Amino acid sequence: MSKKKYDERVLAMTKQQHLVHYVLRTRFARKGAVSYIGHLDLMNLFGRTVRKSGLPILYSQGFNPRPEMVFALPLGVGIDTEGDYVDISMSVPIQPEEFVEKMTPLMPEGLSIVSVVYKDEPKNSLMSVVTMAEYAIKAPGITECVKKIMEMEVVEVEKKAKGKIVTNDIRPQLLELHEDASLPDCVEVLVKAGSTSNLRPESLLQACTRYAGLDPEDASNAGVTRLCLYGGEYPNIKRIEEFT
Amino acid sequence: MKKHIEVNISHADLMSVASPGRYVGGETNVIIKNEILNELRTNGYTSAVRVAFGFPDVYEIGMSNLAMQILYKVLNEPEWCSCERAFSPWPDMDKVMRDKNIPLYTLETKSPLNEFDVVCFSIGYEMAYTNVLQMLDLGGVPLKSADRTEEDPIVVCGGPVAYNIEPMADFFDAVFMGEGEEVDLELAQMVKEYKDSGKKDRQELLRKLASIEGVYVPSLYKDEYDLEGHFIALKPIEDGIPTIITKRIIKDLDGIPYPTEPVVPNMSTVHNRAYIELFRGCIRGCRFCQAGYIYRPVREKSAQVLCDNGIAIEKSTGYDELGLLSLSTSDYRGLPELTDGLLKAYEGHHTSLSLPSLRIDNFAMELMNKISSTRKSGITFAPEAGTQRLRDVINKGITEEDILKSVRMIFEGGWSTVKLYFMLGLPTETMDDVKGIADLAIKIEDLYYDIAREKDIKVRRPEITISTSLFIPKPFTAFQWEAQDSIESLGEKQRYLKSLIQRHKSIHYNWHGFETSVWEAVLARGDRRMAPVILDGYKQGCIFDAWDDMFKYETWLQVLADNGLTVDQFIGAIDVDAPLAWDHINIGVTRKFLALERKRAYEETVTPNCREKCAGCGAACFKTGVCYE
Ligand code: SF4
Repeated sequence: MSKKKYDERVLAMTKQQHLVHYVLRTRFARKGAVSYIGHLDLMNLFGRTVRKSGLPILYSQGFNPRPEMVFALPLGVGIDTEGDYVDISMSVPIQPEEFVEKMTPLMPEGLSIVSVVYKDEPKNSLMSVVTMAEYAIKAPGITECVKKIMEMEVVEVEKKAKGKIVTNDIRPQLLELHEDASLPDCVEVLVKAGSTSNLRPESLLQACTRYAGLDPEDASNAGVTRLCLYGGEYPNIKRIEEFT
Repeated sequence: MKKHIEVNISHADLMSVASPGRYVGGETNVIIKNEILNELRTNGYTSAVRVAFGFPDVYEIGMSNLAMQILYKVLNEPEWCSCERAFSPWPDMDKVMRDKNIPLYTLETKSPLNEFDVVCFSIGYEMAYTNVLQMLDLGGVPLKSADRTEEDPIVVCGGPVAYNIEPMADFFDAVFMGEGEEVDLELAQMVKEYKDSGKKDRQELLRKLASIEGVYVPSLYKDEYDLEGHFIALKPIEDGIPTIITKRIIKDLDGIPYPTEPVVPNMSTVHNRAYIELFRGCIRGCRFCQAGYIYRPVREKSAQVLCDNGIAIEKSTGYDELGLLSLSTSDYRGLPELTDGLLKAYEGHHTSLSLPSLRIDNFAMELMNKISSTRKSGITFAPEAGTQRLRDVINKGITEEDILKSVRMIFEGGWSTVKLYFMLGLPTETMDDVKGIADLAIKIEDLYYDIAREKDIKVRRPEITISTSLFIPKPFTAFQWEAQDSIESLGEKQRYLKSLIQRHKSIHYNWHGFETSVWEAVLARGDRRMAPVILDGYKQGCIFDAWDDMFKYETWLQVLADNGLTVDQFIGAIDVDAPLAWDHINIGVTRKFLALERKRAYEETVTPNCREKCAGCGAACFKTGVCYE
């Protein structure tokens, strides 16, 4: 078959077929070595793992078909997570129990499935659902630092964007602080996240060194864990599993 | 014996370098021997032989290396042996480690290199030499063999550069000649006995190692030069040491274990695919090509075994691409059977095959239409030389007609991207040969438009890329005696070629820097006098020489001069009868045959390939493979 004919055939197939996505919304956690890879690498790692499972994965169309997966929010290098989400599409409905049973023994070291719910053709893309994230940050004296930051009206930090340094105010993105008096070196913060407004934990740490006296060495050594992602409009917080 | 410690790299340190995933391990299919680890943690000691396998380049490159994956499996097979991996830290991490006194460690158990019994390097290219020194240095292992004691690891290496390891002779305790699957374990076994008896006499161990077939112990030989500085001989320093070391090969490739559960990196590497190995060796005998001679004779794996390997490896890795490795894919006789089997097994998985160096014919076209991934990259040809005359000189059995016929098929099939590989500076090359390169590219360009007209295909602009590398005379080739072309002459040829294609918008030209090729030639044919040069260069900050932007030619020239040597001593023509620094190594192919091939090159005579007619190269001494088909 010539390339031209092949192109035409693929095009025709794509037009004909409306592919139904039987989705397994998977909450996952990562820690340890696997936390030091970038988001693209994590996506590929998930892709290889579902491919090994033998489950009826749905593949994308075109010349380079890949397992259909949508990640809720990119996860930065060096950040652990306890509550990230990925929608994995199957070509036939698969029960969460079967999915967990097949996937669990294949999960790479440090990467684990927390829970799975089944979604029949979700209407909203997982990415568009996310609006908030909760992080735990560990560093000496971090609780006091974040408290100070939360009392400020404007919190300017610098960020590199397209080779230029831009300044922006992260205060509106900070929503809540949860402290545990017995743990002064660990703080939990609820911040805006997702495609419209996203606070990266590095920015908060930068603010802490700039305005609240956090030691820069401690800031770069800070352990950051994403505890969970949420949807909804603050203060109306909704679990990701609730969205259809 | 050094007590076990576990190296701990802080989160901040990892976050301060590029791609920290290089330094953390934790990959899929990694092998960690728990009993040994427990022993180490409780006693700080184990009776098992521990091998650190070092790859002297960055993680992403090392992890794409098949030899490492094979030997990792082999050395982890016996209960009494374990093998762990280490790679060259990138300069950012190199600095962190030096500043904070963090030793280079293995990814499996985070152990410093100096607590291993054996540190084994797989070296694929000469330009990685300084990285070997970097790894030893950071790992706390004395750089010179002579400075190591019973406390230190045995440092060994293998790979294609081993056939002339003289420039690195000072740094290796032992060197593997040829294929490592069997000889690695034989060495480990001897080290086990040495360890069991309390590591008393290192010198005695080295002497014993020299008795293993295919193992070369450089410190047991002494080099000699004449008054003008020409190499005369390398002689054993005592009786009972072999004067000739014959390479080892695996007679039956189906009979040895293959890593169908290779370590799969979490981060992206250069290729992101699994591999199977179709055969070793090459029937063709291109006269410049070291691989074509050193891996002789050709030995194939059976299509059935390969198909089983391919199915198992896809399951264990999850990769969506399988690379079919060999020096010349189309020469694999079971190719139709193998590709059919694999494509059938992979149906519905969207796993594609990658077939490098596939000769374009009807079969290949059919195959490529079944495999989608070849579309991305376009099609490559390696005519190596621009005229038939020069192709005959180098014994590249491919005619212009062959090439144009293949290109026609590709264009008719709807492709429009063609890559052409050539070499500049080949022996006997003239400006006519250089012009031949441009002529061929232009003919291909014209052909595209002709076909587009004939077949009424929508005319795009074809993309024809010419890449030229520079001829490097390598040991164990018919051109091992040749001079390397001068930088001036090469520059002139490059400019001329550029000027010839200037006005052809669809022809692009990529070239390679001269300096790195000169240095590679110096290292490739160097002798023991190069060892202090390499050491000095390393001390002056040369590492990652294989990376163009990190290669410091000026520094090297200075260091070479400081050691009383010149580039010309190593890149000039060598008399055909003169002793060579690698004469003590026997690869099967005889020196006499190589000299004959050189003569035929100057006569512009082609030598038939092994399957057409045996040329009597000498490799039949291994009593296997194509010589007995
Ligand atoms: S002995 Fe003959 S068949 Fe065997 S490798 Fe040499 S040329 Fe080829």
